[in-house]
Amino acid sequence: MLRSLRVRLGITVSIVLAGVVASFALAIHAIAARALLHDLDDRLAGEASAVGGMVEQGDNGVPELEFESLSDFEATPEPAYYDVWLPDGRVLARSPSLAGRDLGWQPTTSDVGEYDNLSLPDGRAGRSLRVRTKARPEDATRPGVAATRGDQTVTVMVARGVEPMVATLHTIARWLWALAIVTLLTGSGAVFFTLSRGLRPVKAYAAGLSQVDDTRLESVSHPSDLPSELDPIRDKLDQLLARLAESFARERRFTADVAHELRTPIGALRTILEVAQLRERSPEAYRTAIAEATQVIANMQALVEDLLLMSRLDNRQIHIQRRPVVLRDIVDLCWSAFEARGRGRELTFSNQVAPSVSIDSDPEKLKIVVMNLLSNAVDYTAAAGRIVVRDKVSPLGTGLEVWNSGPPIPPEVLPRVFDRFFRADPARAADQGHAGIGLALVKAVSDVLGMDVSALNVTEGGVTFRVEPRKASASA
Amino acid sequence: MAGMRVLLVEDFLPLARSVSQGLQETGYAVDLATDGAQALDCLQSVAYDGMVLDIMLPKVDGLTILRRVREKGSDIPVLLLTARDQLDDKITGLDAGADDYLVKPFAFPELIARLRAVMRRRYGQRSNVIQVGGLMIDTAARTVTCRGNVVPLSAREYAVLEYLACRRGQIVSRGDIWDHVYDFASEPSSNVVDVYIGYLRKKIDHGQGEKVIRTHRGLGYSLT
Repeated sequence: MLRSLRVRLGITVSIVLAGVVASFALAIHAIAARALLHDLDDRLAGEASAVGGMVEQGDNGVPELEFESLSDFEATPEPAYYDVWLPDGRVLARSPSLAGRDLGWQPTTSDVGEYDNLSLPDGRAGRSLRVRTKARPEDATRPGVAATRGDQTVTVMVARGVEPMVATLHTIARWLWALAIVTLLTGSGAVFFTLSRGLRPVKAYAAGLSQVDDTRLESVSHPSDLPSELDPIRDKLDQLLARLAESFARERRFTADVAHELRTPIGALRTILEVAQLRERSPEAYRTAIAEATQVIANMQALVEDLLLMSRLDNRQIHIQRRPVVLRDIVDLCWSAFEARGRGRELTFSNQVAPSVSIDSDPEKLKIVVMNLLSNAVDYTAAAGRIVVRDKVSPLGTGLEVWNSGPPIPPEVLPRVFDRFFRADPARAADQGHAGIGLALVKAVSDVLGMDVSALNVTEGGVTFRVEPRKASASA
Repeated sequence: MAGMRVLLVEDFLPLARSVSQGLQETGYAVDLATDGAQALDCLQSVAYDGMVLDIMLPKVDGLTILRRVREKGSDIPVLLLTARDQLDDKITGLDAGADDYLVKPFAFPELIARLRAVMRRRYGQRSNVIQVGGLMIDTAARTVTCRGNVVPLSAREYAVLEYLACRRGQIVSRGDIWDHVYDFASEPSSNVVDVYIGYLRKKIDHGQGEKVIRTHRGLGYSLT
């Protein structure tokens, strides 16, 4: 479940969103609480000032209270309270709401005032301001009086309940919670929705891929809205599928070709034997049939061995053992196998490889290359023609050229001569037991030896097959 | 349905040689072509009774040969031989005008049976047995009975009789008989056909009131 990109992204985004929304809500709540407290404190200060304003300087050095009724301080259900004390702690005045109760005297020296949270006499939570206030002169129009009576101070304490502030804060908190939950749900929903939508083409692509089998490799369609982040994967998959399709097609073609190449000789073998049994024959006739069947079997065996070698080459099951090889000797050795066939077709052979030329290669594998090139030359050179083998020195190393006097290979056929089971002219090939695999073997073996092969019609006449060190990596 | 001239087109010589030998020993006259061009040459100069045709051939492939033959309006029975066993190949072959199709490797008796069948259809025969008067010719078993008695015939005699039986009621010239019954390789002789007709008459007409093989002066023979 946690491997799902959608779930992981969804959870992460939701957590982050929740954190942000919660911090935001807490900040708003704190700011609101501060502002409300500030308001309350301002109100207390105002009320303390109003109460303080009622205290006048008395004649005997003791301040007096000029009582005025303040509605908040009357004996109502949720009243505010004040207490006014003389500096020695004696009570000067009390709000009617106190009804004989006490806010609790404490000496104070602060003219600015001390705010405090307290439990009100009626049990409610409250906030108070205690401030020392100078009594105002009885008659402000006679400043001289004040000077004569000196400074008379009182301590005023006002207190009121905090429940309106708390109620407001609760309301704000409730709204913030609601807002946070809605934001969180909407945000998370939007994330899941977007991800689901965004991943839909991925699902479609996956469904397309699930249809893939070895017969329908190229039919995977890409949704046009596939997220661009998946482009590298898509490209790699396309390449992989294309390579697989090519490989399967090659295998199918190869199997069909093998079947074809084996069916014909097997058919011949069967017919030879069945026809031989049609009637009683002379020993001579049986011998002829057996000889013919043996020849067919020999051709089939050669073909099967070539196919096996090809298969091992394909699977890289061939071990290469390099050592210095004298090229000329290899060519002579190989030609000895074709000498009789060449003479039969009146071909002239010339080994023009310099005796000193030695290359670092696997002699057994090199022999397969040279044998097949010579076999091809012997079978396809026009009767009474010439075959010449030369070394070819290039900056990359030494290669080999097998030239024959022709006929030239048709240009449209030239790129295909190294293809498996390709035969430019099946007529001659069938007769000589070729299955169009000789030159394919030359290419495959050269490949593991790190050599490139090519065939070209020479302008001066004839055909050249060239085996030379590979251009890209000569030491492969 | 022996006693017919067949063109065998096959490029793999060991197979071509053995099929050719087998067909000849079964009583067919066989011409062998090892490539498509050679096959077209043969088809132009000789009226064959049937053709065994390989598909993969040098120069001109089997299907092209088949199409050209059918374009010219020929109804020669054609048995296709091929090493490919895919359905598409079979369909293509039959659509190109083949009468039947055989995949290599095949059993030789099957080749003979199929060839016989496609050729039989050409002559409007549904069964292997041809009846002319009191004469019963079994083309599968290659036996001849006359009013219930088995008539022993040599391969050549049988071939001539079967060819006449296939074209019963028609006058068949000596040249026709020669062409359909003898290989090109055989030595042509002006009276060899007459000699075999003579042998046949001795064996079939011997002791019978009515003559089965009639001679039409200057024209040829007919079986009635």
